[in-house]
Amino acid sequence: MKQVLKYLTDLFSRRRLLAFFFILLFLIAGELVTYFFNLPVAGNILGMIFLFFALKFRWIPLSAVKPASDKLLEFLVLFFIPYGVGLMVYFDLVKAYWLPLTIAIIASTLLTLYVTALILQKFEK
Amino acid sequence: MSFSFLLPIFGIGLTLLFYALARRGGRLKIAFLNPVLLAILGIILFLKLADISFETYNRGGKFLTYLLGPAVVALGAFFYEKYEELRKDLKLLSIAVIIGGICGVLSVVAFLLILDLPDFLIRSLASKSVTTPIAVEITKTVGGIPDITAGIVIAVGVFGNVFGLYFLKKMGINSKKAIGAALGTAAHGIGTARAIEEGKIPGVYSGIAMCLNGIITAILTPLILQLLL
Repeated sequence: MKQVLKYLTDLFSRRRLLAFFFILLFLIAGELVTYFFNLPVAGNILGMIFLFFALKFRWIPLSAVKPASDKLLEFLVLFFIPYGVGLMVYFDLVKAYWLPLTIAIIASTLLTLYVTALILQKFEK
Repeated sequence: MSFSFLLPIFGIGLTLLFYALARRGGRLKIAFLNPVLLAILGIILFLKLADISFETYNRGGKFLTYLLGPAVVALGAFFYEKYEELRKDLKLLSIAVIIGGICGVLSVVAFLLILDLPDFLIRSLASKSVTTPIAVEITKTVGGIPDITAGIVIAVGVFGNVFGLYFLKKMGINSKKAIGAALGTAAHGIGTARAIEEGKIPGVYSGIAMCLNGIITAILTPLILQLLL
C-alpha cells in the first residue's frame, strides 16, 4: 500500500504536472493552428513538430517537458489499446478482404524496408 | 439502482489488467507475442466470452484514448533527444526516410487499388508504416476507420520486427545504419525495438527514422490520397 502511494505521489509530482501542462500548451497550439488554418494535419502531430523545434532552437529546455514526456511515452501503448480492441467491431468487414489485404501490406512493408535501407547503404561513406 | 457510473472504471481497469498480464508474457522474448498485440487479443477474447459490447468497454477505453493527444506531442521530445545524439549524417538519413516513407504510402495505396479493395480500407491503411498514435490521427484526418488502422499498424510492426532483419540481410543489406533506418521507417516503434537489440547506432537511426516518417506521412498522406482517390 505504501509503495502504491509512493508511486502515485511520484507519478503526480509537481514537476511532472508542470511539464504535462507545458505539453498541453503545445497540444493546444497545434490544435488551434490546425483549426484556424484548416490544415489536413492533426493538431497533436503539429504540436509534436512545434515541440521539436522549440527544443531545437532552445526556446525551452528539455528538462521542462521531460518528466511528463518520458511518462507519457512509457504508457504510450496503453493509450492505443482501445483502438486495437475496436477492431472487433469491424472484424467482419475486414475479414472478407483478408488475403489481398495481407498481400498488399506485406509487399508494401518489404518494399519500404528495402528502399530505405538501399539508399542509406549506397550513399553512406 | 444503476451501476453505470462504474463503467468507465471497467474499461480502464480491464485495459490496465491485460496490459500488465501481457507485459509478463512479453518477457518470454518471443516476438510474435508482442505485448500490445497480446493485450488487444486478450481483451477482445474476454469481451466476446463475457458477451460485453465494445461500446460498454469503450466508455472507459476512450479516456485512455484521450491521452494519445499529449502522448503524440511528447514524441517531439523523444525525437529531439535522438536528434541530439546524432547531429551528423542527418541529411542522408532524412533523404532515405523521406523517399522510403513516400514509397510506403504510395505502394500500399497502389497495391490496394490494383487489388480492387474498397475506399474505406485504403483510407484506413495508407498510414500503415508509422507509429500507431500518429497513424490513427492520419486515418481520422483522411476519413478512414482508426480502429482498423490500429490493429493493422501493430501487425505491420510485428511483421517488421520478426522478418525485417532477415529480409534485409537476404537482400544484401549489411550496413547497421541502413538496417536501423529501414526498420524505423517501415515498422515504427515495434521495428525500432528490434533495431535497439542490434546495437546503439541502429537503435538511434531507427528512432529518428520512426519520428521523421511519422511527420512526413502525416503531411503527405492527405495529399497523396486526394490525388489518387
